[in-house]
Amino acid sequence: MINSMQMALIKKDIKSITANKRMFSVILIVPLVLTVFMPSIFILSAYFVPEETSDFQQLLELLPSSQQTGDLTRMIMALTINNIMPMFFAIIPIMAASVMAASSFVGEKEKRTLETLLYCPLTLKQIFYSKILASFVMSMAVSLISFLGMTVVTQVEILLLTGSMLLPDINWVVILLLVAPAVSLIAITMIVRGSAKAQTVEEAQQRAAFLILPIVLLMVGQFTGFILISVWILLGFGAILAVIAWIYMQSAMRKVTYEMVLN
Amino acid sequence: MNTVIADRLSKTYAQTNKALDQVSFSLGKGEVFGFLGPNGAGKTTMVKLLNGMLEPTEGSCLVCGIDPAVHPEKMHRIAGVVTEHAQMYDHLTGYENLVFYGTLFGIGGSESQTRAQILLERLGLNDAKDKKLAAYSTGMRQRLSLARAMIHRPEVLFLDEPTSGLDPESAQSVNQMIKQLAKEDGTTVFLCTHQLRYAQEICSSYGLIDEGVLLAQGTIEQLRAMVFSGMTVTIRADDIPAEILSHRTGVNEYEISVESEEDIPPVIRQIVDQGGNIYRVTAKRMSLEEIYFALIEERKGGGRR
Repeated sequence: MINSMQMALIKKDIKSITANKRMFSVILIVPLVLTVFMPSIFILSAYFVPEETSDFQQLLELLPSSQQTGDLTRMIMALTINNIMPMFFAIIPIMAASVMAASSFVGEKEKRTLETLLYCPLTLKQIFYSKILASFVMSMAVSLISFLGMTVVTQVEILLLTGSMLLPDINWVVILLLVAPAVSLIAITMIVRGSAKAQTVEEAQQRAAFLILPIVLLMVGQFTGFILISVWILLGFGAILAVIAWIYMQSAMRKVTYEMVLN
Repeated sequence: MNTVIADRLSKTYAQTNKALDQVSFSLGKGEVFGFLGPNGAGKTTMVKLLNGMLEPTEGSCLVCGIDPAVHPEKMHRIAGVVTEHAQMYDHLTGYENLVFYGTLFGIGGSESQTRAQILLERLGLNDAKDKKLAAYSTGMRQRLSLARAMIHRPEVLFLDEPTSGLDPESAQSVNQMIKQLAKEDGTTVFLCTHQLRYAQEICSSYGLIDEGVLLAQGTIEQLRAMVFSGMTVTIRADDIPAEILSHRTGVNEYEISVESEEDIPPVIRQIVDQGGNIYRVTAKRMSLEEIYFALIEERKGGGRR
């Protein structure tokens, strides 16, 4: 499906990001804050000042009875790991995919290297699919590493504080296998569609920032005790996103022409 | 067999801006074709049409039998392009850039490395091959672009202003290389430039374009025949007999027009026989530049469209 020429392009795109210290540090810092510092703060405050976390009260009441263990500290910790963190985590693939895709499409256009690529013996679609794949692989890699990093850090903290671990539940499987890939693809496609109009990388990234809005709305809903993101909601949400992502990407690819790219 | 054929090719942008109007020409194998005209004449549009980057509004073109508007990727396999908008990666070295583009054209890793090394030496970039492109001068970038366009040994090379930004020495070595490619490898070269003197040094045939209209096409002799095939003789003498039809251009300096070199000795003899002293005689045919301006003049006068 992917030939050696496309593979060369994918490797080059990934190497371009990892070699660019400024871009790479953006890709690393955001996940570090979201998956290491934030859950640590929640866990530590749940342990040391559980009464201060009364904001979670409404949310805790929404928990199914099987999870109402009576130990407030561990309940808050479980809520943090399995209900709150997944929403923050969804920002990571959006951010990584946008930074990567903006550099891959608009960055190349800005530096006038995109036209050179168009003169190679690959169809325009092959070039675009390779670039989308490079951004997608990078976004998934960052997401997976962030998840592993978060799990190691939070589990060690919980183990040290409470004596036993609180492993991530099935929500995370849905997040990693469905939601993260879908939002990555949507973010990449938004950048690709905007790449014809955007003249700078920053301009292109701003468009993808809008994607964070629905996630913020979900967070507000969650924190105010309006909804509890259960695995079923997450699964439905992920499936809808995946369908949107696929249709959105296919329609964007149908419209791609050399003229549009070079505009 | 013709390598590049343009058949009544037209391109209109935004429905009103006609960049090319019914342009037709054909180029043979190993021909160095100079596509000449001022900025904005339609040269870059033509390169983009011939490479499938733009779709023609009317007409069609073929490059080695392939229609670039239908199969651009197949056409790119046999063509190399140098334009100022096709740059390479600043964070890679010259050598890494060439190897990357080699693999992008389906050439294996080790073969790409060998070809990159040969081209870097050929273009005098061997000392800078491990420097990042960000440290390259404009001239070095231009030469590396040429190396990049040649890495897959194309049958047709499209060069848009290839010597802009080059110092005279580099420009000369690039010229020699283009000539050599055409002569030894049979590469067809489509060269766009607005520097007419430069074009005259390396091209074997020409297409003169202005405002999207091809004014003329052919070898320099064919183009001269369209305007004035004779010669202009400049004579520095203290006196010229009145019966010789001349045009005074300065102190003791006269210009006469003749059909061929054979017409010059009788004129000289006549001046000497009548007691005139001759200090200098130079004869020249119309340069490409003069032909070009004469044709533009003719077109603007309403004679051609």
